[in-house]
Amino acid sequence: MRILLVEDDEQLVETTARALRSQGWVVDCTARGEPVPRSLREDAYDLLILDIGLAGIDGFETLRRVRAESLAVPVLILTARDAVEDRVRGLEGGADDYLVKPFALTELVARARALVRRSQARTSNQLQLARLRIDQEARRAYIDEEPLALSAREWDVLGFLMTRAGKVVPKEHIALASNAWDQGVSDNAIEVCLSRLRAKIEPGGVQLRTVRGLGYLLEEIV
Amino acid sequence: MLPLLLALPLLGAALYEQVQLTAQSWLDEGLEDTALTLAGQVDIRSGEPRIDISATMDRALRFDRQDDVFYLVLAPKGDVLQGDAGLADVLPRPTVQPAGRSHYGDVKLRDRELRLVQLGHDCGVGTCQILVAETLHKRDALQRQIGSLVALTGLGLALLLALAAWWAIRQGLTPLTAMSNELEHRDLHRLAPLTASLPRELVPLQAAFNRLFQRLTRAADSQREFLADAAHQLRTPLTSLQTEIELALMEPHDQRVDPLLHRLRQRVVRSARLAQQLLSLARTEDRNVDVGQRVDLRDIATESGQDWAHRSLPAGVDLGFELAEAPALGHSFLLRELLENLIHNAVSYAGSGARITVRCGTGPEGPWMEVEDNGPGIAPPDRPAAMQRFRRGDQASGTGSGLGLAIAGDIAARHGGRLELLDAHDGGPGLRARLSLPAMPGSIPAV
Repeated sequence: MRILLVEDDEQLVETTARALRSQGWVVDCTARGEPVPRSLREDAYDLLILDIGLAGIDGFETLRRVRAESLAVPVLILTARDAVEDRVRGLEGGADDYLVKPFALTELVARARALVRRSQARTSNQLQLARLRIDQEARRAYIDEEPLALSAREWDVLGFLMTRAGKVVPKEHIALASNAWDQGVSDNAIEVCLSRLRAKIEPGGVQLRTVRGLGYLLEEIV
Repeated sequence: MLPLLLALPLLGAALYEQVQLTAQSWLDEGLEDTALTLAGQVDIRSGEPRIDISATMDRALRFDRQDDVFYLVLAPKGDVLQGDAGLADVLPRPTVQPAGRSHYGDVKLRDRELRLVQLGHDCGVGTCQILVAETLHKRDALQRQIGSLVALTGLGLALLLALAAWWAIRQGLTPLTAMSNELEHRDLHRLAPLTASLPRELVPLQAAFNRLFQRLTRAADSQREFLADAAHQLRTPLTSLQTEIELALMEPHDQRVDPLLHRLRQRVVRSARLAQQLLSLARTEDRNVDVGQRVDLRDIATESGQDWAHRSLPAGVDLGFELAEAPALGHSFLLRELLENLIHNAVSYAGSGARITVRCGTGPEGPWMEVEDNGPGIAPPDRPAAMQRFRRGDQASGTGSGLGLAIAGDIAARHGGRLELLDAHDGGPGLRARLSLPAMPGSIPAV
């Protein structure tokens, strides 16, 4: 996997790049936004990590130019924590996710992986999270190469959660995930389904957490 | 005021004197008219001056409703031609007046005070002396009348002046009182210029105050900017340090240093958080931050929940959310920071195994948001102290800076709301920190 990292804080570039490389990814770094569209055209990057506060044109402008050229690479923006308006602006400008500084490296790695996974899901039918893998066309799930026995509902929910791994998904959205459910599905039915699913997938190095009152979060165990 | 009060009697005295003199001179002229009438009656017969005064004329000459009138006509040699011979004994003695000249004087005749006019009259063979005198009843009465009139007028004038002065001072001081009231209630964070419409005399004072405000604002701004700069400068290297430590944990390393690295990471995270808090403290006091934007506390809490879901909470901490719509006016970063501090506070106080619940909604009084934990809580008498900066409760497990609740309180106040520390809902132990914001203008509160 190849990542373009645009960040002008030298120390942050060094540590971030090393953390990403430790995952076996190839990382190219630049401190300025101007050459980014060209780099993206010339080389096939899987992810652009873009800092908002850059010298020269800022992250927003860089993002605008990238999207103006219809470059479909997933973009993760980095913003300072006190610039809350930046997140909205970034997401509206075509970023796929944001991360607020100071961030934990493990979180950066997890978000980067989730973004690439989602992007690949658009072009391929295979999605991987830790040792859990799903094949959307075949509607099958595997831990390593071992197929999982899932009901139709469980499969729908897993597929839905896999494309949203790393995000808290509200319960009412999960209710919409499966055609196998009637309109007025009970909370209880969803919980039963999720707890069965949890037992089946957690041996694969992932966890399905309940965030009380907000929803469910499927993530890798770090 | 004082000079005016001193001048008033002097003016009164001068006025009295002037009116008195004029009145006297009119009366004197009356006397002189009598003398001239007498002079007209003097004629020469066989080389001797003579005068004939009939009884009627005598009565007419002496007629006066208040005073006794005396007259005496003396021949050039001093012989009495007509009149009251006794008048020649007045003291001081009258001196001989040349013809056509008259002399006035206050004289005494056997202890009676008289006003005397003495006229020199050319009667052919020399100068006759004509003396006319009258008692002073009329003059005394007139003097008293003038005196009381002037005194009354003066007194009235003084009263009017005092009234005018009192009114003027009151009128002048009312805006000053209003101004000092306004100054008394000035918020140090918002030193807007005074704009009261004042009498012209007070405008420079107001302008001076406004200039002072400007200087104070600049001083406060530069202090705030310094705080923000310092916090920002501090945060950047701390962030790098944090990532370095995390990198060390990710890369192959001697597992024996793991506890050390974890401790180190925790301390750095705590310092970075302190820097962040100082930064948000500076933002809270920044007048340019608009706290009047339309926000929904539910969105703010949801976003916070998304972030916290990824963080590693202490073992067994259950963070939950019970959120309802809560539209409010505010600034999302500051409100987010407030919630962040409350959750952080709950996590560090309640410790492992804690159940923390974030709630928000709209009550009859307006939007609200609260964070409840089931930790040891804070006794009601200790709660005000817990809201102060750098105060830490006894039960804090060590990740707090002592700034969290103070910042949350500041942010609540900045929004015109309040932050309260309350008992937990179910009557058990624990603390409930509740933010109440003013109701949205024009909103119908959901009950």
